[in-house]
Amino acid sequence: MAAFEYRQALEVGDAFARHAVQYLFIGKSGAILLGYPDTTQNAVLFLQRSPRNRRAAVEALRELGFGLTEAEAADITRRKDFVQLRNGPFDLDLVFAPDGIECFEDAWSRHVDVEGFPVCHPDDIIASKAAANRVKDRESLPRLRAFREYWMSLQPR
Amino acid sequence: METDPQIPTDWIADFEAAARRPLALRMRYAFIHTYKPVLDDARFRAFETMAEYREWCERNLPTWLGYGRV
Repeated sequence: MAAFEYRQALEVGDAFARHAVQYLFIGKSGAILLGYPDTTQNAVLFLQRSPRNRRAAVEALRELGFGLTEAEAADITRRKDFVQLRNGPFDLDLVFAPDGIECFEDAWSRHVDVEGFPVCHPDDIIASKAAANRVKDRESLPRLRAFREYWMSLQPR
Repeated sequence: METDPQIPTDWIADFEAAARRPLALRMRYAFIHTYKPVLDDARFRAFETMAEYREWCERNLPTWLGYGRV
């Protein structure tokens, strides 16, 4: 499995736009799109959890080359909150109810557009990691919070 | 630009260097792939809730991967 590339991010954007999938980049992959200098293993997408959006995501993922069986597609369209995909051209995690974020619509209202990619605001990325409270999140949060301060200082007032 | 004086200067230097790179290059530097035992051994997993996923990680993944809650 190769690492996630810019070209693939564009393909995700195109496929999700064709199927009108509502999504946001979240987690460290989202922070990296915002400019955070670090490494990560995979992209994580926060998807709006309506049945229509779930079905649209399945169609878009199949177009992107994810080999979803009918049972796997059904898992995505049912009310699963977290899906880990290792059956496509790159590793991808889908999250429908990230820790620390009340709902997709709230996060969308704060989202940042990075060259056409919809990305969670740094405050939501930090809130999600703080609420998850894993060892790896605890380790990365001080630097991520420092990046948030730096990033905010660059934003127009 | 004013930055928080409590942020280490080497972090600020990293942030500024990243800001000068185009997005495609930032992504090339940032996204890596290394094998993660157990986690990468299934082609598909789905969990009803985030709590169920966190519990699965704690029960099944090596602690050194860092997926356990504090």
